[in-house]
Amino acid sequence: MKKIFLLFLFTILLQSAYSQEKYTISGYVKASESGEELIGATIAVRALSVGVSANVYGFYSLTLPEGTYQVTYSYIGYQDLVKEVTLTKNQKIGVELGESVNALEEVVIEAEGAEQNIRSIEMSVNKIDAKDIKKIPALLGEADVVKSVLLLPGVSTVGEGSTGFNVRGGGVDQNLVLLDEAPVYNSSHLFGFFSVFNPDAVKNVKLIKGGIAPEYGGRLSSILDVRMKEGNSKKFTGSGGLGLIFSRLSLEGPLIKDRTSFIVAGRRSYADVLAKPFLGDDLSGSKFYFYDLTAKVNHKINENNRIFLSGYFGRDVFGSGFAFNWGNATATARWNHIFNEKLFMNVTAFYSDYDYSFGIEEDDPRDDFSWESSIISYSIKPDFSYYIDNKNTLKFGGQFIYYDFKPAEAFFVSDGQKNSISLPEKYAAESGVYIQNEQRIGSRTSLLYGFRISRFDYLGKGLKQNYRDSIPGIRRPLDSEESFDKLESIADYANFEPRLSIKYDLNELSSVKASYNRMSQYLHLISNTVASTPIDLWLPTTNNIKPQLADQVAVGYFRNFAKNKYEASAEVYYKDFQNQIDYIDNADIFFNEQLEGDLLSGDGRAFGLELFVKKNKGDLTGWISYTIARTERQVKGINRGKWYPTRFDRAHNLSVVTSYKLNEKWSFSANFIYSSGTPATFPTNRYEIQGIVLPHNDEDARNNFRIPSYHRFDISATLTPKKNKDRKFKGEWVFSVYNLYSRRNPFSIFFEQDDLDPRVTNAIRFSVIGSFVPAVSYNFNF
Amino acid sequence: MRVSNIFIFLVLLVTFSSCEDKIDLDLEDGKIQLVVDGFITNDSSIQTIRLTKTAAYFSNIETPFENDAVVRVLGPNNKVFNFISDGIGNFSYNPQMSGPLDSTNFSYQLEIDYKGETYQALSVLNPIPSIDSMTYAFEEEELGAEEGYYTQFYARDFAGRKDYYWIRSFRNGTNVYEEDRTFLILSEDAAFGGDGADGFVFILPLRAAITNQEDPFKLGDTSSVELFSLNSAPYQFLDQIITNSGNDGLFATPSANYRSNILTMAGNPQEEVLGVFSLSAISKFEIVIQ
Repeated sequence: MKKIFLLFLFTILLQSAYSQEKYTISGYVKASESGEELIGATIAVRALSVGVSANVYGFYSLTLPEGTYQVTYSYIGYQDLVKEVTLTKNQKIGVELGESVNALEEVVIEAEGAEQNIRSIEMSVNKIDAKDIKKIPALLGEADVVKSVLLLPGVSTVGEGSTGFNVRGGGVDQNLVLLDEAPVYNSSHLFGFFSVFNPDAVKNVKLIKGGIAPEYGGRLSSILDVRMKEGNSKKFTGSGGLGLIFSRLSLEGPLIKDRTSFIVAGRRSYADVLAKPFLGDDLSGSKFYFYDLTAKVNHKINENNRIFLSGYFGRDVFGSGFAFNWGNATATARWNHIFNEKLFMNVTAFYSDYDYSFGIEEDDPRDDFSWESSIISYSIKPDFSYYIDNKNTLKFGGQFIYYDFKPAEAFFVSDGQKNSISLPEKYAAESGVYIQNEQRIGSRTSLLYGFRISRFDYLGKGLKQNYRDSIPGIRRPLDSEESFDKLESIADYANFEPRLSIKYDLNELSSVKASYNRMSQYLHLISNTVASTPIDLWLPTTNNIKPQLADQVAVGYFRNFAKNKYEASAEVYYKDFQNQIDYIDNADIFFNEQLEGDLLSGDGRAFGLELFVKKNKGDLTGWISYTIARTERQVKGINRGKWYPTRFDRAHNLSVVTSYKLNEKWSFSANFIYSSGTPATFPTNRYEIQGIVLPHNDEDARNNFRIPSYHRFDISATLTPKKNKDRKFKGEWVFSVYNLYSRRNPFSIFFEQDDLDPRVTNAIRFSVIGSFVPAVSYNFNF
Repeated sequence: MRVSNIFIFLVLLVTFSSCEDKIDLDLEDGKIQLVVDGFITNDSSIQTIRLTKTAAYFSNIETPFENDAVVRVLGPNNKVFNFISDGIGNFSYNPQMSGPLDSTNFSYQLEIDYKGETYQALSVLNPIPSIDSMTYAFEEEELGAEEGYYTQFYARDFAGRKDYYWIRSFRNGTNVYEEDRTFLILSEDAAFGGDGADGFVFILPLRAAITNQEDPFKLGDTSSVELFSLNSAPYQFLDQIITNSGNDGLFATPSANYRSNILTMAGNPQEEVLGVFSLSAISKFEIVIQ
């Protein structure tokens, strides 16, 4: 492996060896209003047809031959800035871009940033700004990051209100959800109705579904990269809102002007507070609320060093005779260091924890129950960007993560007698190194190539369990157990993950792109329910649970229209999955020391076509996304070993997302969503045992039927009252209706015996939201 | 444990408008198969094994019975217990004839001759702990629980072995969950599962489950409890009924066929015959609410 690495490095370095007199300009691109770095801003020299984009910290580096150039800095929604630069030595040039104020200017300025759709090597990537997320009509008026992601091509869900999302045939656990680079193990509040990200603290969101660069690893299907705001470095500002579910408040500002800034944002639901007066005595002790707190500080030590500290803490709390709560906590520390104008480094260290606890609240201590579970991870991750010349950008780095899994720490007391039913903790280490080069060849072609080597160690202290084989689909019996000491390797795996992307410009307006990536995943969410629950367990790869693998190829055509007013893309993909986890019938997920005997392993495949058109400029903005796709699994022991569609397989998925600004006072938004029904398992026959009617499928089929399709229309109107010019305070009212035509979209269809006549069986349609949901909220900033 | 039910309850509590309604559905019909409802006990009352056939799922009539079979149980020392058909699918054995099936820890084998094939199933008569006592107390109305008398039973699981139990509760002789027949009370040792409750007193949620919270006992009622010992296969079968009855919302598990423990002589695992054979030892206790 080491040899491949060196050879690779050498080849790239050789390419730049023959360079003539060249100099580098580098620096940060920021927003003039807030001082926020603009992730992915474009820096271009049109005369040479060269351009680069700023990295996730807003840093760019562009190497050019000696001379004088017009350098254009641009970013969607901001005015372009053109700087004349005479290059006779390396230069640091930091710029600040102002927001485009009105439509008039937008006509004059061509949206250079939008060219990224065709020029960038990235494919299968969607970006959403916090601003766009807030425009989308949302359930109960609560702008939501994950619900917005559901409107993008290639993304589906098992149904309304469920946790997480499914990308190109991948399970919910196959998305690496990052909040400022720390993984979030459960991204939901209230079982999935809302996500944990406070939109007031979010800067932008990027979903990577394919062509995944070597710098990312650890999950098969996607990276959801959520970046928090840095906090306004110019002045103190605040924003917040009062909605039906949450009240929100965020404050940001400089601690030392242009050097240190912070942001603190919090939300709390108050359904419980509002409901209190209406609850009877018997309910007065019940609790149901959730909250989250997001905070970040960044400090510029000098031109070459910056540090960032960010954290998230959120919890859902429920109780009524019992106490149940769950939540994530993450902390991230980052250090940006510029060695020189060409070499940029970031080191991230994070801590991320997800845990839940459940207990009963009995007055009598003679009978009690308590249950806690968690996954804790610690990581360090250095990343280097080396801007070799304007044709090559080399990135390399690595990551090390240490995991501590606590599947269950539990005890119960029955009639005064206490016993522990805890399961042993599990430990693991995941590591990876990567190298990649983004290379431009000629004026039309770009390549991104590289690889990642990942390694996983399932560590002691623990037991290695060996199981005997059984008929597929039947619980495998435990054969023997071997004991391992602390930090001793119980099982280890390594995977070589090659990645390749190619872009070729057909002309000024269009390009084709293709990519291949192999991904491996060593963490598995053990979840046997339709929607993932907060108590699902994350478990490591072991000697019995193999690493999940996926290979994906994607090809796409990208074109912009009407001077980049519209960007469009068409992509096809094929994905092959290995070692997908499934469960025997009646699997015991909780408190089962021999859980691994209840797990099955199988293959998967997914393919589809995604069409996407987005309008970025003008009074009317929005997008249309359409996906036709198939996603299937084959597992010995399920569906008699034949392929079957996954629970989130939906043939057609259409989203129309629009927003219209009528005038300074009013703006309107509307969504329309259509998706084919998800599959379900329906019986063919019935029989009776002990007076209970049981369903039976004579083919032993899984997901043999489709529930009806899902569609929904949402609207919202935003009223911004005329503001007093002297006052900083601005407010707006948002009126929205979710599911306007009150469709009872089925989440599932299930079967049950009639209460009154035991001979009669009924098919019942279950709708999570069975009517329209109006909402009003008030947002403000100052 | 039906943790998922807690979720459903919570989701309903906090959501706004989730709803369920009956719909019409066209389902394909499958092939017809023999069904064995074979729950018998060591009791001295008449023991019955019922044979029926599967029917289309929405046939909405009692499933058709099957008479054309020979049913017997082989006990220890090659003792044969013949189950005689009554002409409407019930095959019965009267323990007055040659004694109850009561050799604890011995294995009994069901044999059914049907259409030229012999099907068989094994069940070990596991022991059953006796019920120590029962208690009752009046409770005010609480979230999801009506006002009335709540009874509990006390019994202790056998230590040092894996036990499976089915707990059945009656009010004046009628199943307290008559209107919710899938509400079964099952226990693995003295709790819901796992290995932690071996040798314990049945845990509180089990002790208390004998009262139907929607319709608790009233003054003058007789609350009686029957404890059945089970083998692993029938336990799993009944447990799946519980799981499937909660399979109605966000947190449903994939529905799957019930695994029968009745196989051909060759042990062919293909489910040709559906249903279950289970021989249980039982213990009973009752209390009158005064």
